[in-house]
Amino acid sequence: MSAPLISVERVTMRFGGLTAVKDVSIDVAKGSITAVIGPNGAGKTTLFNAITGVYEPTEGAVKVSGRDPRRALGPNVVAGAVATGVATGVGLALLVRVETIWQASVLDLYEFQKAFPWGAAVKAFLVSLFAGGFVGTWLPILVGVVLGAGGRLVIWSRTRRTPDVVASAGVARTFQNIRLFPDLSLVENVVVGMDRRLSSGLLGGIFRLPAAVRERNAARADALTLLEFVGLADKAESSAGNLPYGHQRRLEIARALASKPDVILLDEPAAGMNPTETVDLMRLIRSIRENGTTVVLIEHHMRVVMGISDRIAVLQYGEKIAEGTPDEIKNDPKCIEAYLGKEELG
Amino acid sequence: MPSQAPSLPFLSRGQLFVLGGLALVPLLDFLLPSVQLSAQMRTVVVFAMLGLGLNIVVGWTGLLNLGIAAFMAIGAYAYGILTCEVYPFQVGFWPGILLAGAIGAIAGFLLGAPTLRLRGDYLAIVTLGFGEIVQDSIKNLELITKGTEGINPLPAPWVPGPVASGEPGGWQQLFEPITSETPVRWFYVYLGILALAVYLARNLEFSRLGRQLFAVREDELAARCMAIEPDKAKLKAFAMGAALAAVAGAMFASGLSSTGEPANYDFQVSILALCIVIVGGIGSITGVLVGAIVMVGLSNVLLPNLTQALQRSGIGSTGSVFASPDNYKYLIFGLALVLMMRYRPDGIVHSRKAVRK
Repeated sequence: MSAPLISVERVTMRFGGLTAVKDVSIDVAKGSITAVIGPNGAGKTTLFNAITGVYEPTEGAVKVSGRDPRRALGPNVVAGAVATGVATGVGLALLVRVETIWQASVLDLYEFQKAFPWGAAVKAFLVSLFAGGFVGTWLPILVGVVLGAGGRLVIWSRTRRTPDVVASAGVARTFQNIRLFPDLSLVENVVVGMDRRLSSGLLGGIFRLPAAVRERNAARADALTLLEFVGLADKAESSAGNLPYGHQRRLEIARALASKPDVILLDEPAAGMNPTETVDLMRLIRSIRENGTTVVLIEHHMRVVMGISDRIAVLQYGEKIAEGTPDEIKNDPKCIEAYLGKEELG
Repeated sequence: MPSQAPSLPFLSRGQLFVLGGLALVPLLDFLLPSVQLSAQMRTVVVFAMLGLGLNIVVGWTGLLNLGIAAFMAIGAYAYGILTCEVYPFQVGFWPGILLAGAIGAIAGFLLGAPTLRLRGDYLAIVTLGFGEIVQDSIKNLELITKGTEGINPLPAPWVPGPVASGEPGGWQQLFEPITSETPVRWFYVYLGILALAVYLARNLEFSRLGRQLFAVREDELAARCMAIEPDKAKLKAFAMGAALAAVAGAMFASGLSSTGEPANYDFQVSILALCIVIVGGIGSITGVLVGAIVMVGLSNVLLPNLTQALQRSGIGSTGSVFASPDNYKYLIFGLALVLMMRYRPDGIVHSRKAVRK
């Protein structure tokens, strides 16, 4: 078997005294449908949040295609920190003595309606900027460098594994309590999901450059195709907040698929759906897998879970109590106990 | 089969309608020559510009910025220092206004970079404080900003076209500055700048970044899970809002031919800008234009003119404070806000975010 697409390696999530997930390891094979089941409060959603970067695991690691998705301490980060530090330092030194510097480099040199000696002014500016001695120049520069570079590094270290980093690595998700962008149209919702694949920048957008326009049109066409895939194309321009519940779930799936992820995490996709919608959903999940996207789902509907999963992991009180094929799980006494309770004997 | 993405018209119908309506204002100068409406309506255009900047931050990104006037002040003073003849730079109107916008964007970036991670009320407090700090700094840096005096005189816009008064002949005349005797042309220059800003803002609204901003406003965590970096998107929005506000400041200063005193850019102005956005319809460009016309038109054009007319007709000439409508400004504002919140909480122009094409 090839290396797992996602491997959860001995992840523990603790919130203060509460251990929500305890030492859980799950491997998700590429191209599979894996289900995570368990009673309410078993830590399934917490596990999803740890995988997608909403939480940083207290212990353990989550690897995607063998790599831990997090911002590396690359040359970008170092250069950014150095640049921020120097800019803050010089800026602070400038601010501390701004009037003196202004006096020396502008007011002293400028005579009303006469040509301004630019060269001399630049020289005077530099001379006066560094003429403050230790307290006037070097202390502010030092403080600024420490604050600027340090602040930049603190931010980097705190945002190493945020959801956008994990999402960029090809992990998309939906939410248990639907989190669409309610005031945007269905198409816009899906195009937002596509953001990872778009490249147009600020200027392209503001000045409506041809490349940005082409990209936008292509993205909208793609979005319509996806909406058709989930069966919502006829409502493409209405607002997401007005959709019925079951449709909102499918829109969330379309939005998650828009980024062409390697793996999609579905958090209770069948919740609140009627039996017909549930059957449609099962068909949809199978076709997602057939299109090459690995699926991980949390679900309570046993018909869905047993019907489509290749592997099932069972959580109870934050611990994994079983893992295996649907048939193995169905007959596992521990799982039956977790769901139905223990039979009283004598 | 759903249709291909429709191509985007340059301006929406509502925006064209409002801008076109503003373009007709100088016609009223012929009807009411004593009022000089196009000179007074410049202020409306300036505040529409300010509202446009604030709308990007408050309306689209959902960040409460209570210090937008500070960026207006930065723009005004940058324009002042860069163009006034008591300083060596003297770059002229157009480079001055562009540089003021750029300096505003840098200021927005510098304020936003360390603070935009703050949420909701905390960010509002930071921007509120920033507004006060900028105003006090300008007041106290007398060597640079001339303190409460204000920097003057400042150049008016510089455009080709015949000048109403002045010596005939000479090609240079084409490039002479607009003077106070050419308020119509001046108004049209400002309106042109506003139209350009509306066009750019509308492009932004429908661009990738615009979509990111909306997503961040609606649900920051969901946006993050779509691989969007909210901090970067917010920072760009903040800087762009600051840039537009700074351009508004530069236009304001050029219109007065002086930066005026720092108190021209106090908290009241920030609140006025916020009212423009909210009354007009939060998140809607057309709404901002309408809001500026209603709010500033009322307080800076309609009421003062009404007061003058009353005085001329002899009714208010006794000096009674009750007979001058100008004094009822805040009463009317308050009443209007209460009625708006009761009957039309989404603003005069509903922003129809959902049917964005």
